[in-house]
Amino acid sequence: MGLQTRTRTRTTLIILVLQLNLSSGLDRQAAAGSPDGRVKLHETLAIVINRSNPIDNLAFKELRKIFLGERNHWPNGHRIAVAMLYYGQPERQTILRLVYRMQEDQYQDYLLKGMFRGEVFAAPKTLDSPLILRKFIFNAPGGIGYLRATDLDDSVKVVRIDGLLPQDKNYALQIDEEEPE
Amino acid sequence: MTPEPMHAITGKTPEFGPSFVPRFLSRHVSVVLLLLVLMSEAGVGAFVMRDLFKIYATVQNIYGGSVQGLRGIGEMQYQAQETRRSTLYALTTNDGNLQVKYADQSREADRLVTKGIAEYAAQARDDRQIAVGRRLASDWDTYLRVRDEVLGLILESSTKEAVELDLTFGVPVFERIRQDLEEMKILYDEEASQQLAAVAQSSRRSMTKLIAVLGFALLLGGIAIWTIQKSKMRAEVQFAKLQMEFVASVSHGLRTPITAILTAGENIRDGLVREKHSLFEQGSIITAQASQLMDLVDQVLRFAACANPSSTHSLQELQVSEIIEHALQSTKGLVQQAGFTLDTEIEPDLPPVIADLQVLSQCLQNLIVNAVKYGDRDRWIGVIARLDHRTREIQIDVQDHGFGISPADAAHIFEPFYRSPQVVSARIHGTGLGLSIAKRSAEVFGGRISVATQAGCGSVFTLHLPVERIERAGALSVARLGSRA
Repeated sequence: MGLQTRTRTRTTLIILVLQLNLSSGLDRQAAAGSPDGRVKLHETLAIVINRSNPIDNLAFKELRKIFLGERNHWPNGHRIAVAMLYYGQPERQTILRLVYRMQEDQYQDYLLKGMFRGEVFAAPKTLDSPLILRKFIFNAPGGIGYLRATDLDDSVKVVRIDGLLPQDKNYALQIDEEEPE
Repeated sequence: MTPEPMHAITGKTPEFGPSFVPRFLSRHVSVVLLLLVLMSEAGVGAFVMRDLFKIYATVQNIYGGSVQGLRGIGEMQYQAQETRRSTLYALTTNDGNLQVKYADQSREADRLVTKGIAEYAAQARDDRQIAVGRRLASDWDTYLRVRDEVLGLILESSTKEAVELDLTFGVPVFERIRQDLEEMKILYDEEASQQLAAVAQSSRRSMTKLIAVLGFALLLGGIAIWTIQKSKMRAEVQFAKLQMEFVASVSHGLRTPITAILTAGENIRDGLVREKHSLFEQGSIITAQASQLMDLVDQVLRFAACANPSSTHSLQELQVSEIIEHALQSTKGLVQQAGFTLDTEIEPDLPPVIADLQVLSQCLQNLIVNAVKYGDRDRWIGVIARLDHRTREIQIDVQDHGFGISPADAAHIFEPFYRSPQVVSARIHGTGLGLSIAKRSAEVFGGRISVATQAGCGSVFTLHLPVERIERAGALSVARLGSRA
């Protein structure tokens, strides 16, 4: 009970820090401006897992293996269930670009071939919105997915990537998106 | 021998009927009985209202407790099924969005069941209910853990493992939950049955009370009606008897002087009486008897006039001494003829009286005549007038040392036509109207007559005239009436 409370408190603090850093980061980027008159916004993606999962940190390499379907089970025995957001969303594009290092069509082709060959055990779940993704992670003990800091809450657990949290400097998963000024 | 104590009676006796009926059958008793009936009915009403409120409260309690409880259990059964159904729906699709939606539905339903179980536990009254509540809570907790694992496996695409887990653990636990809920329902049914039985018993008790009290009220009502009828019948019989006696008395009173007049007339007609003094004697008999006849007719007419409320009176301001003098003058011949001594004592400076001289004088005359008739022992009459400062009344006593009146007769002497058996047997003639007329005459001017008497010692009849009334009437009448002062 005490451990759960401490974990929950820590997660809440992380989310708060993430949200504060994100807003200050956005302000800084917006203030910089760009030559073509559009502001380039940088935001980080948090990797989230079920709160019952004991994992706290993942190497980026491990993360990539998980998303590529090369690793199927967590150390606690639960099957890994990868959750992806629907096509065309900036978060999905970021994951494809940074984790899969593929374009959308390459990713689709990879999955099809991988499942056919038995290299990919289960295709990632494609979910319509961050809210549904968060609920999916909450319900699936082996679930893993990604969310912006603004979509986080206590129902999921943020995992470090190479020891870094989304608000940390040199965090690997930065969203590149262009928003009209 | 110690003399029997004097007893006082006022003249406020009823007209007819009730006083001729035994006390336990009087109208007062009937009124009391009717009041008892009313009170009984009010009591019945109160009982019924109380029981109705009690039954209403019990029914509310049954509704609030058992019916709502049963409804709550039905809702819990439905939501428990919904929890399981939504979980199983998630098995039917590979669409992650739908699976999440079904998981949400399952969790929403399980929250309602958990809430229902907590409410049941809070309302549980006896040991069995508490035990069932605890068992259900435990089983539901176990099922939710299984459900969570099943949902997790479904979302992780481990469908086979999810089905196996559900069949192995989920189905038996859910069956236990179903049985727990059924048992809860049975307990509520039993409780509702017990409460309904209590309501039925309470209703039966109320009905019994109602019948008993209504029966009692009916009995009392019957007795009251019977009493009233009996009383009325007796009064009518008594009144008819009195009327017959009155007719007989008046007839006798008429017959005696008429016979004397007839005899005297025949004596003169047949020449049996020729000498002057004999003729004078016969003439005197005729005039005396005619006068007696006249008196008798006057008495009857006076009684009829007193009984008529629309009779008019000639009001005058009168001195008490004047009234007494008038009465004494009118009865002087009778008193002297009977050989009575009459003493008068009038307090000086008595306030005047506003009254009809003829009526008040007649009232006193009747009292004096009464004293002559029944005061035969010492042949003495005392008339005393005084002002009672305490009661603010002028009191005029007419005393005699005669037979007195027995307590049994004293209660009836002011009733019209009443003549005591002793008087009748002593052949003292009369109509039984004298005291009744005196009483009514006094009441015309707001007064009354009381009597203090002792059998064998004599009686004191007192005419009471209230001074306030006299003074008020005097103040009003001074301008209106001619003063005779």
